[in-house]
Amino acid sequence: MSKKASRLPEGFAALEPFVDDWAIATSAARAARRDDSSAKEQEGFYEAARELLDPALTLLDGKPLAKLDAKERRLLDLMLTLAHVSIAVEVQRDFEPQHTVMRRYMRITRTPADLEA
Amino acid sequence: MNSVIPPSYKPVTDDSVAWLGTDPIPAASYVDPAWFELEREAVYRRSWLQIGHVCELKEPGDFIRRDIEMLKASILITRGKDGGLNAMHNVCTHRGTQLTQEPEGKKGRFSCPYHRWTYDLDGKFVSGPDFERFGLAKKDCDLTKVAVDVCGGFIFVNLDPARTQSLGEWLGPLAEQLEALPSAKATVLSEYVYEIDANWKITTDNFQENYHLIAIHPRSLGFTLAPQNPYGYPTEYGFHDPHRTQTIWENPDGTVPPMQGQAFYKAMNFAIADGIFDAPTRRAYIALFPNFFVLGIPEQPFSHTIWPVGPGKSRGVIRMYWQGADDSASRRYTREYIMAQLRDVHAEDRAVIEAGQRGLESGAIKHIHFQPQEVLCRHFFNQVSERVEAYRAELAGRAPVGLSAAAE
Repeated sequence: MSKKASRLPEGFAALEPFVDDWAIATSAARAARRDDSSAKEQEGFYEAARELLDPALTLLDGKPLAKLDAKERRLLDLMLTLAHVSIAVEVQRDFEPQHTVMRRYMRITRTPADLEA
Repeated sequence: MNSVIPPSYKPVTDDSVAWLGTDPIPAASYVDPAWFELEREAVYRRSWLQIGHVCELKEPGDFIRRDIEMLKASILITRGKDGGLNAMHNVCTHRGTQLTQEPEGKKGRFSCPYHRWTYDLDGKFVSGPDFERFGLAKKDCDLTKVAVDVCGGFIFVNLDPARTQSLGEWLGPLAEQLEALPSAKATVLSEYVYEIDANWKITTDNFQENYHLIAIHPRSLGFTLAPQNPYGYPTEYGFHDPHRTQTIWENPDGTVPPMQGQAFYKAMNFAIADGIFDAPTRRAYIALFPNFFVLGIPEQPFSHTIWPVGPGKSRGVIRMYWQGADDSASRRYTREYIMAQLRDVHAEDRAVIEAGQRGLESGAIKHIHFQPQEVLCRHFFNQVSERVEAYRAELAGRAPVGLSAAAE
């Protein structure tokens, strides 16, 4: 059986299971993914990714954003979604379901990240 | 480097703000549709209104369209060929058709979709098909201009043909502070927008006091509160004609969870690298009459504009101001986090403001109450009330003018 090709840079294999659901291209879509996920999903992603934030940013900071390859771009998108999810897990905690209802009214209309998305 | 955080909290005393009054405030002005109608002219027509930022109009031909529902106006702001800013009504001088529905873009000219009357970037009439038949002079067909000026990177317009103050006179000493804020150097924005079923003044009041932080934001802003200042009250209030300021208190002992700490640390380091971390305006909060707030927090510089849509409907626009495009993954991550964190806070506000609207609309109470640490709300009420009452008296003194009389 052949090994599935990695979709992330070397050293980030632990995040492979999260690529499909959490590597998201725009800020509004990342916020919406937080809204649409369960506490279990959020905690699973948070626990797997939080220790990898600094290594990921250290790697990605090595090049201009415009030069990131597809794997690196995917890793960055994962980390940007982690920013949203970490607030759910760390800050809102058990209040997150009620907070989601309130938060949906706040429409993200532009971010610097979206300029190149 | 030395900490810029003050070591302890010195409260604003009740006596120092007592000159603004202590009486209950009539509730009706917050929900009465007739009062709202008076505010259109008394407040919004006669004020300079913040409507955009220069970073939205970088090059000649760039334009933004901003609708001001309160004045039933649609305004075009353009960057002209000479590099200057122009503001004019988005209204063709032929038969009044709006020229464009695009919110922003780049154009060399504006051409009316109805009969193709065409205007330059400065509103000057250029041409219209079969124009000679009108017997009009081209110079009389330019778009209707609106006064526009810039301070601290913010674009302001004034729709009062009889205005008596320049933008500089309107802002007074606050102009210098606006120029010193991080937003003055911004080149990139983050933005989120919300619609709310609440009067613009009820919405505004929420963002003028910290008394509610402990009840509404215990999770998202808990780190700003401490036993020495459990409500997170400011250290100073300022009153400048219709405008207000406060100096934000920073909790030196605030604790945050791990990833939030990482993000705040990164934001602090970017603010240091950008040379804005210890700016004298870092704790500045400026509320410009009637509907614009801007904060100087270097790690999280943002503004909040609350646009009235109807007596019980408003729209909030929150913008964050960044210097330079994202130049690294770390900077992009930090800006994404900081925006998401602030958005959580404002989401919590929105829900409780609507509850206040519903309560006042019921008519169950005739007055509301402000304590001394809600003094900015009181000052705001006083400013709106004075203008509405003056305008009401002005109307009463005018002889009614009917259509037939006006046509004579």
